[in-house]
Amino acid sequence: MSETIISVQNLNKTFGDHEVLRKIDMDIHVGEIICIVGSSGSGKSTLLRCMNRLEHQTSGKIMFYGKEVRDVQREINEYRSRVGMVFQSFNLFHNMTVLENCMLCTRKVLHLVKEEAFDRAITHLKAVGMAPYINARPSQLSGGQKQRVAIARSLCMNPEVLLFDEPTSALDPEMVGEVLNVMKKLAVTGLTMVIVTHEMAFARDVSTRTIFMDGGYVAEDAPPSQLFTNPKNSRTREFLSRYLAG
Amino acid sequence: MLNIFAIENPENSMEWMIFLANKYAGMFWKGTGLTLFIAVLGTLLGFLVGYVIGMIQDAQISPGDHVIRRLLLKLIKFAAAVYVEIFRDTPMIVQAMIIYFGIRQAGVEITPVSAGILVTVLNTGAYMAETVRAGIGSIDQGQREGAWAMGMSPMKTMVYIVLPQAFKNIIPEMANTFLTNLKMTSVLNVIAVQELFMAAKTVGGNYYKYFESYLVIAVIYFVLCFAFNKVFNFLEKRMSGKSDYALAAEYMDND
Repeated sequence: MSETIISVQNLNKTFGDHEVLRKIDMDIHVGEIICIVGSSGSGKSTLLRCMNRLEHQTSGKIMFYGKEVRDVQREINEYRSRVGMVFQSFNLFHNMTVLENCMLCTRKVLHLVKEEAFDRAITHLKAVGMAPYINARPSQLSGGQKQRVAIARSLCMNPEVLLFDEPTSALDPEMVGEVLNVMKKLAVTGLTMVIVTHEMAFARDVSTRTIFMDGGYVAEDAPPSQLFTNPKNSRTREFLSRYLAG
Repeated sequence: MLNIFAIENPENSMEWMIFLANKYAGMFWKGTGLTLFIAVLGTLLGFLVGYVIGMIQDAQISPGDHVIRRLLLKLIKFAAAVYVEIFRDTPMIVQAMIIYFGIRQAGVEITPVSAGILVTVLNTGAYMAETVRAGIGSIDQGQREGAWAMGMSPMKTMVYIVLPQAFKNIIPEMANTFLTNLKMTSVLNVIAVQELFMAAKTVGGNYYKYFESYLVIAVIYFVLCFAFNKVFNFLEKRMSGKSDYALAAEYMDND
C-alpha cells in the first residue's frame, strides 16, 4: 500500500448528548479515491469537516503524514493549505469575480507572484470548462458552474488530497452530470480524493474504496466491487437495496 | 423681491429670518463649516474605531491558543464591551461635558473643537461597533469556511472576504450615522463649540428673535441633510455593481 496521507485515529464527536461520530479509524493513502456513502445523519459530512478542522473532534486524532494536526491556528492553516475542500454550498466569495476567487488564496496563502497565480487559475478553470467566465461574479453563474469554479479554486492550491462534501447535493439534476464529469476527469489524474456523496453509480464506478457509514460508525469499508455486489453488513445491504430499488 | 437682502426694518418673521441670515451671514457660514468639519472628521474616525471594536468583538478565542494570548484577548474583548456599553447608555450631551471638563481638570489644555471631535468619535465608534458586528454576522458562515479551508487565517479571511461584504451591507446604516452626527453636533454648544446651534443662540440673543434665528439654522440643517441623503442614495446605487459581464473570448475554445 502506498504512503498514508491522512490517518484518522479513534475519532469521536458529540454535539451535546448526540454522538455523531464513534470510534472512527481510517487511513487515506496516496492516490486513493474514497467515496463515503450512507443515509443523512450518519456522520459522513461531520467526519469530512473534522478532517479539515472545521469541526473540533471530542476525542481522537487526525494525523497528517504521521504527525498530529494540533489545535494551533498556524498549524491548522498550513494543514488546510495542503488539504483542499469542496463544499455542498460552493462557498465562492461573493465579493469577487471567478478569476479573483481562484487567485486570492494562491496569492495570500502560498504567496505566489501574480503571473503564476494567474496561470494556475486559467489552467484549472480551463480544465473545468469555466475559463470564459473569469469576469463573472458567483451570483451570475448556475449551480453547476459555481461548483466547477469551486473545484478549480481548490485545485489552484495544488492540494495533496481533496475533500468533497456532497458536491452535487445542492444541484439541479441536469447539472449533476457536469460536476461529476469534472470529478471523473480528476480521478484519472491520480489526485487523492475523499468524496461524501449520494451518487451511488459514481461511487461504484469511480472510487477505489467505498465506505458505508451508519449511526456514526464505519459500518463497512471495502472496494466498490465488493461493497456494491456483496455487502457484508446487513445495514449496508438494506441501504443499497433502497437505492437500487429507487 | 430685488431688495430681498436689503431689509432695514424687518416686520414679520420671514423678514426677520432674512435680515438675521443676511446680517450674520459670516457667523452662520462659520457655524456651518464647523458643524460639517466636526461631523465629517468625527464620523470617519468613529467608523475606524467602530470597525476595530466590531472586529475585536467578533474575534474567536480558540482553545488551542496560548494561555497568555487567550487571557489578553478576553481582557481586550471585555474592555471593548465596557466602552460600547458606556457610550451607548449615556447621552452625548453628558459625555461632552464629562470629557471636556474631565480633560481640563486633569490639567490638559484641550480646545472645545478637539473635545467635540473626540466625543463624536467615541460616540460614533460605540454605535458603529454594533453595526459592524451585525454586518459581520449577516455574512454566511460558508464564506468564511471557504477561505479557511484553503488555509486563510481568520484575520485574512476577515479582511479580504467578510469585511468587504459586510461593508456593502451596512452602507445605509453608515449614511444614517453620518446624518445623525451632523445633527448631534448641535449638543456641542454646551462646551462652547462655535457650531451652528451656538451661532443661532448668539444671533437670536442680539435681537431677542430666537424663533427666527433657530428657523434659519433649521433650514441649513435640512438642506445639508437632504443633500447628503441624495448623495448617499446615488452612491449606494453605484455600489450595487454591474449586472452583466463579458465572456473572455480568448478562452472560448475550451478543450
